[in-house]
Amino acid sequence: MSMAGKFGSVIRFLLTCWKVNLASALEYRTSFFLLAGMMFINNLMWLFFWSLFFHRFPVIHGWRLEDVMMLWAVGSGGFGWACVLFGNFPRIAAIVSSGQLDVYMSQPKPVLLNVLASRMSVTAAGDFVFGIVIYAMVGNHTFTGALAFAAGLLISGCLYISVMVIAGCFAFYVGNSEGIAGQVFNSFLALSTYPSDIFKGLTRIALFTIVPAGFISYMPIGLLRSFDPVFAGWSIGVTLLLGVGGALLFKAGLRRYSSGNALAMRS
Amino acid sequence: MIALHTRALSKTFKVKRKQAGLAGSFRALMRPEWETKEAVKRIDLTVEAGETVAFLGPNGAGKSTTIKMLTGIMHPTAGEAKVLGFVPWKERNALAYRIGTVFGQKSQLWYHLPPVDTFDLISRIYELTRGDYLTRKRDLVDRFEIGPYMNTPVRKLSLGERMRCEIAASMLHRPRLLFLDEPTIGLDAVVKQRIRELIRERNRTEGTTVFLTSHDAGDVEQLCSRAVVIHHGGILLDEPVEKLKREVLNRKTIWLTLPEGADPLELRGAEGAEVTEKNGRRYRVSVDLKRTGIEQVLRLLIGRIRIEDVSVEDPPLEEIIQHLYRMRKPEEVTT
Repeated sequence: MSMAGKFGSVIRFLLTCWKVNLASALEYRTSFFLLAGMMFINNLMWLFFWSLFFHRFPVIHGWRLEDVMMLWAVGSGGFGWACVLFGNFPRIAAIVSSGQLDVYMSQPKPVLLNVLASRMSVTAAGDFVFGIVIYAMVGNHTFTGALAFAAGLLISGCLYISVMVIAGCFAFYVGNSEGIAGQVFNSFLALSTYPSDIFKGLTRIALFTIVPAGFISYMPIGLLRSFDPVFAGWSIGVTLLLGVGGALLFKAGLRRYSSGNALAMRS
Repeated sequence: MIALHTRALSKTFKVKRKQAGLAGSFRALMRPEWETKEAVKRIDLTVEAGETVAFLGPNGAGKSTTIKMLTGIMHPTAGEAKVLGFVPWKERNALAYRIGTVFGQKSQLWYHLPPVDTFDLISRIYELTRGDYLTRKRDLVDRFEIGPYMNTPVRKLSLGERMRCEIAASMLHRPRLLFLDEPTIGLDAVVKQRIRELIRERNRTEGTTVFLTSHDAGDVEQLCSRAVVIHHGGILLDEPVEKLKREVLNRKTIWLTLPEGADPLELRGAEGAEVTEKNGRRYRVSVDLKRTGIEQVLRLLIGRIRIEDVSVEDPPLEEIIQHLYRMRKPEEVTT
């Protein structure tokens, strides 16, 4: 099969996977709307506290309330689409350590893609809608502004996925690494929702290296308020590096996969 | 034509050893001790296309590990294997188009959705054309009689209904080789029988090679032409099932429940049958099939005594394997 044929086949597979995921989520309509709505309100509450803060201190290290709102828009929006389309990315460690890769590995599709696309997080739909609503409220509605926001969503979503794939791959090497992956997930998520400029020194270096949440949390300044080509270049480069690194690590990890005898159902 | 071939296929695991109790946990934390466990030991096996092979052994014998290596899920520690001409762990993707897998404990059906949605997804995974998929689905739905369940969420199906859908789904892409890992686990006798018939039919009509693991002697007896028994990771026996039947599968058990006050002495006298256990009004009668038939014994007993309940069972597979193990000297086991 030609490259174009293979690509087309993967796209058709992903579309069907997402259709099946959505159908599965809609099996419990009330739960779907409640969970998505709750997440929207949860995010709104955070913004409410930030608005109280900025009411008292209108500018913090050059950040205004609109910037924090856009940080939340790009962060929760990116997290939202990543969880809706590739909802298994925070669960890689659990899937590997409990031996649930068997079914994915017995099918003729890229294993990582198959695993990632096999789950849709219902609550994350609320995150994505929240991101769009905030952009509609305070974002730059010019063509370039919309393009920058779309790029920000894409980069932040890909970063969340890549970081968690790498964290999840520890399970191939150290066994049960759900705890480590959970810690990485929580710290990455938390750090990506605070303005990067409030961190100085070593913490700031860590924010752009060990836990690269800075590439999300600096977006409102480096990508959305004004386009900084150096930051944009680094963001794209780091995202690609982590994405490719995660995929290679996962592929190498499959050699060490030891399966298991846990009962497993796909939901 | 050869469907699969292995040479000295082996798999070892490193297993952490821990003493019992909290102190043991602390010791293992500070100074962990590791043990190498040989799950599969130098297995040599050849299966011809169209064969139905039962791959048997007690829990922990290495059956599932072998299947996982043959399907490319796990990498071996040593040895070689070719399945339909492919090295499974190196050419997993290409092989996956040509084989089907059913893991009794791992479902590929989506729990909250009706099977028809999973069938659609599988048709995309295996890149079936729309027309081919619809024809194939119609045929399988018809043969497996799963039409009434196709639009019911999987969570609302019984285990037997789900397994029928599961096996039909695994055959959607016309696999040339079907790996079945305990497909009848937890099913009642009627459903087991139906599933065996369906698998046998696919083997007959489409020439599908079947490689099956099971703990049920009935699966082996009714479905397979050849049995490979492994024990402690090595091959203990590789024989036609007919021979196995003559040598080992030659006893059945009849469980009888007699009414209050019935004279159990009436059970005596049936040639080739003896009472081996009594539990209240329940009697276990062991029948030697080399000397008599089940039908003859039952006819004789029904003629002599009033019976409240009766059931016929195969001996547990573990018992048969233990028997085989005792029959063969240890050096005969391939290691």
